[in-house]
Amino acid sequence: MLRCLEPGLSIIVGTTDAKGAPASCRGIAIASHDDLATVTVFLPVATSHEAIQNIALTKRMAVSSTNMADHSSTQMKGTTIDARLATEDESAYVRSRFEAFVQGLMAYGVSPRLARSVRHWPAFAVTLKVEQMFEQTPGPNAGRRMR
Amino acid sequence: MKMRLSDLRPAFQGIVPSIFATVDGAGVPNVTYVSQLYYIDEGHVALSCQFFNKTRRNLDENPRACAEVIDPITLQAYRLRLKFLRSEKSGPLFDTMSLRIDAIASHTGMTGVFRLIAADVFEVASVECVDGFLTEPSGAPVEAMSIEGARTEMRGLQLVSEGINRAADLESLLASVLESLEEYFQFAHTSILLWDEANHRLTTMASRGYGDSGVGAEVALGEGLIGTVARERRLLRLSSLDADLRYGRAIRREAAAGAGVVDAEIPLPGLPDAQSVLAIPLTVGDRLVGVIAAEDRDPMRFNEWHEAYLEIIANQIALGLDRMIDRADDPAEPHVAEAAPTPPAAAQCRTKRRLTYYRHDDAIFVDDEYLIRNIPARILWKVLGESKRTGRTEFTNREMRVDASLGLPPVKDNLESRLILLRHRLQQKCPDLQLVSAGRGRFCLKAGASLELIER
Repeated sequence: MLRCLEPGLSIIVGTTDAKGAPASCRGIAIASHDDLATVTVFLPVATSHEAIQNIALTKRMAVSSTNMADHSSTQMKGTTIDARLATEDESAYVRSRFEAFVQGLMAYGVSPRLARSVRHWPAFAVTLKVEQMFEQTPGPNAGRRMR
Repeated sequence: MKMRLSDLRPAFQGIVPSIFATVDGAGVPNVTYVSQLYYIDEGHVALSCQFFNKTRRNLDENPRACAEVIDPITLQAYRLRLKFLRSEKSGPLFDTMSLRIDAIASHTGMTGVFRLIAADVFEVASVECVDGFLTEPSGAPVEAMSIEGARTEMRGLQLVSEGINRAADLESLLASVLESLEEYFQFAHTSILLWDEANHRLTTMASRGYGDSGVGAEVALGEGLIGTVARERRLLRLSSLDADLRYGRAIRREAAAGAGVVDAEIPLPGLPDAQSVLAIPLTVGDRLVGVIAAEDRDPMRFNEWHEAYLEIIANQIALGLDRMIDRADDPAEPHVAEAAPTPPAAAQCRTKRRLTYYRHDDAIFVDDEYLIRNIPARILWKVLGESKRTGRTEFTNREMRVDASLGLPPVKDNLESRLILLRHRLQQKCPDLQLVSAGRGRFCLKAGASLELIER
């Protein structure tokens, strides 16, 4: 299950407003310090304002973590318990994860210069209490509940 | 700024996966990657439904969705607010989306497992640029085609037509078409396969831009990308070959590298690292003549303009091929100057050759290496046997046609293409043995080595 925390993953986030309108957003990094009881997802401030608004309203969030090389993917769903600006202490971690993500984008043929131009800092740190976890790798087990 | 969906066409090529978010009836969001969102028109997009997954179930409970697509050239992200309208399980949209999935499934040995269930159609409520996604301005979406490019391609169309009309024989027609495609469209890796009604397979007749020509490689109807295009009689453009496809090719490459394996298969010409493919059926009416295929390492190499444009060219090529295949071997027709036989490559020549015809496999091996099979093999075996028995070296197409043991179809027998194939294979595998054209409807056997013929 810890594969969803490895470096080089593509992190995407889904949220909803009070009327059930979905919104998507790309994350930059993910971390967990309690064996996936909670995860902290780092979202670029520049592109996550709608997600942050939705979280403030509904607290609902889905996070999908995908290895771009082999398409293995995990989705976590739950309730957000904290949303704050990421600290300078966390910036090194976010930047190292972003660099691994850049390598993944380059595998799709994106130039390094262009890949590194994706805005990733400053970031919000949103902590999700993981209530459900699903296998999301394409194939016969997609959708299987892992936790 | 209000954006038009059509301005974002590169983002719908499937090169960078798109994000797709939905919410279920209880208000729980779901987010996933989708390999490709299909542009339908200015107000609609579609998503392929291959499994009845969580996204699909959510849409039945709540039709609203949010998609994020990325332009692979500028890397700019765009967000689309969508409303699910309907699932289409047949019709033109379904067929178009299904063709791509069927082709990939066939190519990766997943036919029947990996298939389209429905084309889910969405109304696009709004489209917006994700401001701040990049640290530097990305610029406007790239234009698909410039006026200058269109002028060049119109000139290309004219020259392809001229080449087809001027071609003295099938071989020069095929070479002319591939040369024009490279010269005027920079399609550097191309091949033409012709449909053989007798054995229900497509055979590679010409290729350009591959180290190993692959001439003689066969594909069954419905097999792989090219076989699927032939079966469906529909053009296929893949802008970004899926990782599965590349994986499958790597396996094939590994298998082909196995030492000591005698295999009566010729690998299809192909780039191991191709990122985009364009395959166009060549048809006259509903009748299949062949397939023309191009591939490239650039994932954005082929665009919609090429699709439309090459369909026009494909029609001309198909008619030209059909005319050439149909042409009678009438000796009264004006004599066409024959090209000199290709001098055999000294390094590959030998003083003695052993040719073995395996009756059960209907295949000829030369010095234990696969040469050719089916009708071309029978033609060669007939010629070699006759020459050995009688010393005769000159033969006519007519006598091949009347020999029922060769199994040529009574109409559209493709004899000329079979002889071209035979000549290519001999040149590759046994250059000291040649079939040289001796004027319209005649050819000569030229052997520079002593031949041992064995039949098993």
